[in-house]
Amino acid sequence: MVNIKLKNINKNFGEVAAAKSVNLFIEDGEFFTLLGPSGCGKTTIMRMIAGLEYPDEGTILFDGKDVTKEPSFKRNTGMVFQNYALWPHMSVEENVAYGLKIRKFNEAEIKKRVTEALEQVKLTGMGKRFPTQLSGGQQQRVALARVLVINPSVLLLDEPLSNLDAKLRVEMREEIKELQKRLGITTVYVTHDQEEALIISDRIAVQNKGEIKQIGTPLEIYDHPKDVFIATFIGKGTLLQGSISEKNKVNVDNYYLSYTNNLELKEGDKVNVLIRPESFVLNKPSEESNRLEGIIESITFVGQYTELKIVIGNFSIIVNTSPKTILNKNEKIVGYVPYGNTILLPYEELV
Amino acid sequence: MKLFNLNKLHHELDSLTFLQVCIGTIFLSIFLIAPLLLMTGQAFISKNGINLTWFTDLLGSPEYVSFQSRGGRFGEVYNGILYLWGFDYGILLNSLIVAAIVTLICSIIGVLVAFFVNRYNFFGKRIFQILLLVPLLATPFVNAYVIGKLFNPRGGLINYIFYDFLHILPWRIDIDGLFGIILAQVLSYYPIVYLNVSAALNNIDPSLEEMAENLGAKSLKLFRTITFPLIIPSLAAGAIITFIFSLEDLGATIGFIGARANPLAKKVVSYQVFSSFAEALTGGISPKVAALAVIILILTVSSYILVQKYVNIRNYTMLSKGGRWGSRVSVPSKHRQSFIFVFLLLLIIIASMPQIGTILLATTDWTTSGALPTKITGEYLTTLWTNQDVTRAITNSLVYSLIAVVIMVIVGSSIAYVVAKRNIPGKGILDLLATIPVAVPGITLAVGYFLLFGQYFRGSVLDPLKDPALLLIIAYSIRRLPFMIRSVHAGLQQIDKSLEESSFNLGAGRTTTFVKIILPLVIGHLISGALLGFVYSMAEVSTSVTLGALREDREPITFFISRIIYGVAAVGSVSIGASMCMLLMAVEIAAMTISNYILKQKVSYLGV
Repeated sequence: MVNIKLKNINKNFGEVAAAKSVNLFIEDGEFFTLLGPSGCGKTTIMRMIAGLEYPDEGTILFDGKDVTKEPSFKRNTGMVFQNYALWPHMSVEENVAYGLKIRKFNEAEIKKRVTEALEQVKLTGMGKRFPTQLSGGQQQRVALARVLVINPSVLLLDEPLSNLDAKLRVEMREEIKELQKRLGITTVYVTHDQEEALIISDRIAVQNKGEIKQIGTPLEIYDHPKDVFIATFIGKGTLLQGSISEKNKVNVDNYYLSYTNNLELKEGDKVNVLIRPESFVLNKPSEESNRLEGIIESITFVGQYTELKIVIGNFSIIVNTSPKTILNKNEKIVGYVPYGNTILLPYEELV
Repeated sequence: MKLFNLNKLHHELDSLTFLQVCIGTIFLSIFLIAPLLLMTGQAFISKNGINLTWFTDLLGSPEYVSFQSRGGRFGEVYNGILYLWGFDYGILLNSLIVAAIVTLICSIIGVLVAFFVNRYNFFGKRIFQILLLVPLLATPFVNAYVIGKLFNPRGGLINYIFYDFLHILPWRIDIDGLFGIILAQVLSYYPIVYLNVSAALNNIDPSLEEMAENLGAKSLKLFRTITFPLIIPSLAAGAIITFIFSLEDLGATIGFIGARANPLAKKVVSYQVFSSFAEALTGGISPKVAALAVIILILTVSSYILVQKYVNIRNYTMLSKGGRWGSRVSVPSKHRQSFIFVFLLLLIIIASMPQIGTILLATTDWTTSGALPTKITGEYLTTLWTNQDVTRAITNSLVYSLIAVVIMVIVGSSIAYVVAKRNIPGKGILDLLATIPVAVPGITLAVGYFLLFGQYFRGSVLDPLKDPALLLIIAYSIRRLPFMIRSVHAGLQQIDKSLEESSFNLGAGRTTTFVKIILPLVIGHLISGALLGFVYSMAEVSTSVTLGALREDREPITFFISRIIYGVAAVGSVSIGASMCMLLMAVEIAAMTISNYILKQKVSYLGV
């Protein structure tokens, strides 16, 4: 296993920047996710790690060794493609054995390893089938087995779950995570699905328009998004505009909310305020909280929770409540948002 | 921005790609570009240096360009015979007029047939669809010979049936000369337009037509405003190929000369170039012939490139294709159905005359029996393996075609792979060069080869006067290369690049990946292209009867047939030529069957 370091990587496709001064350090054995909207360049970064693209500038290091100019077949990475890229003219066994044959293992060893790999992904006995005879989930497993069998130093997963149906996605997600922890293999995972990223990753890098916007654990990124883009891309929430009125107080349309952020702010600074739907609670919590009072404008039953739109003065917020609470439209409601969950973001014009 | 990224080129140009680019470039430079350039150069050189002497000579001479008829008969009734020969406007204009008329008629028939077959259901449609392709079975020279024989005012079968027997015609009909060439070519070439337009009609999203109907356009209006504009690119593609084929065709002119010895059938460019090779054995080829070949070459290549550009810009039939659908097919009224049925039946009967005639010539005593054959005989077919000259010609063609196919596979797969999968500067030029042979008339290639390799490679294996075999092989592989490339390219386009990348990722280099992943995935297309290339090489006419004429023991099948038809070989042996055509047809049918039913590949049609 290796650690991976990307130093000042730049990559352009014509006018479009796929990577802009990207610096990353991925720990040995870490499950690292590149998260961002489609076209942000996350797959390109992964392909540069795999050696399928070369950066215009910058260096890529595996365990401190410069591999920037090494072609893909010398890097010993294992990449699972979004469309699985199983070779249709080869059986499952032949697909899995391919990397071993290239590495000139003897027949007996190949057989042993292929059997093990198929067992690992729960496909024992499927070796003689052809990719077209497999379901999407099974194809996914073959693609995984095909790279795991060569003991790659890095596992690269490019949106591996995007072609599966919702139920299978959850199942495979758990399996991949479990497999990764068991093998302790350095893993880079690319996805545009923020929920998937939050659940599966040790750390996440959020990317937009080629730039890495924030790197952190799922919790850090969720609770302390660095800017409006990240705040809206990850999780839900209401964005409000306000200005700093005094120390640790923000004025949102004459409602004075306390916060605990340690952004460098001075009185009069304009800011954006993010309130996540689940931060709004009806019973006063133990921690210090802002009290908010408003009128329920709409009630939407979602299932696990009920979504409310609450009008407070001249603005409104979206919050979640327990479906068991009986509420009526146009009723007055009182709730609390802890100081810690009153998230301040650098000011940006809201669209 | 850097126009030329060396770093990137370094990554793209690995050893396999380098090898493939070299194979393609070197092969095409030596055997396509160099001979044509040399020929063009010599056409501009006369005693007084570089000038246009040869061209002004040609264009100024009424023998080549004349705006008044220099003879011929058209629609003239004399002694109870209606003469349909056509008028002589000079060799160059004749060729252009013939090609233009052939293209026009083929376009009309091709579009009509394609529309009937692809938009209507009617009785016997499936059988018609197969029979409509019969004219694609090459029966070089014999086809025109058969038509000449059928329309002979003295003892021709058509005149016998419609004048002597049924008394429908007021005169006997004599079809010959340029008109005969037009008839023979139309019957052979209309399937080219038909297949191109059929493909387009099948590709039109039915919702485009349904939307127009929904807005009130019906039948003819719908066809004129929506359907026809959408098939124009394919029509243009088929038409330009027909035009080029007509210009370079030697089969019809030699066939008619053989059948009727009418000098008017000689008044086309292709024949003039052909006959110059008969003299080449002693003298060499005059720059005037080179100039003639250059004029034809410029005409065909420029019009081909123009049409290709146009087709690429206007290729919108696929634009809104989405979801699963079949093309729109309706069942017309009984009235219309019977019209379509009769139309197609007549067309098929007329268009299959050459093939039926060939079979009759080969299996009966028709050559000598008059209007109708009197007895079946196997004596001509047996010559295929008993007559030494015949077997030698067959063996020659088999050997040439097989080697040509090997070259085609190597060069074709190399170029197709570079063009489809690699991103190196200048690959567009390689692509263009590899498709251009479609537009290069075989006769001009033959002239180019003769000049280049006869003058500068004298005495070497490439010297056509010493031994034309190798040049014939190369000419076949160059001429049929586009079909191979198109077939492989179509296969490569279906391979997602991730299938290659996953192989690199697992440690395989580009060469291993090419051998283990790419080749197995396009093997069907490769074999299909090879079969097509083999069949076309066996039946190749233009270079075979020119270069092939230079040494008797090296002659290929088609040159042997042309000698028989032209009357050089012994009388009565036309049937032997027809037997050889039957062999060609058998090979073609076998190849198409394998390609269609075993490899499940659509036989690539001829187009841009």
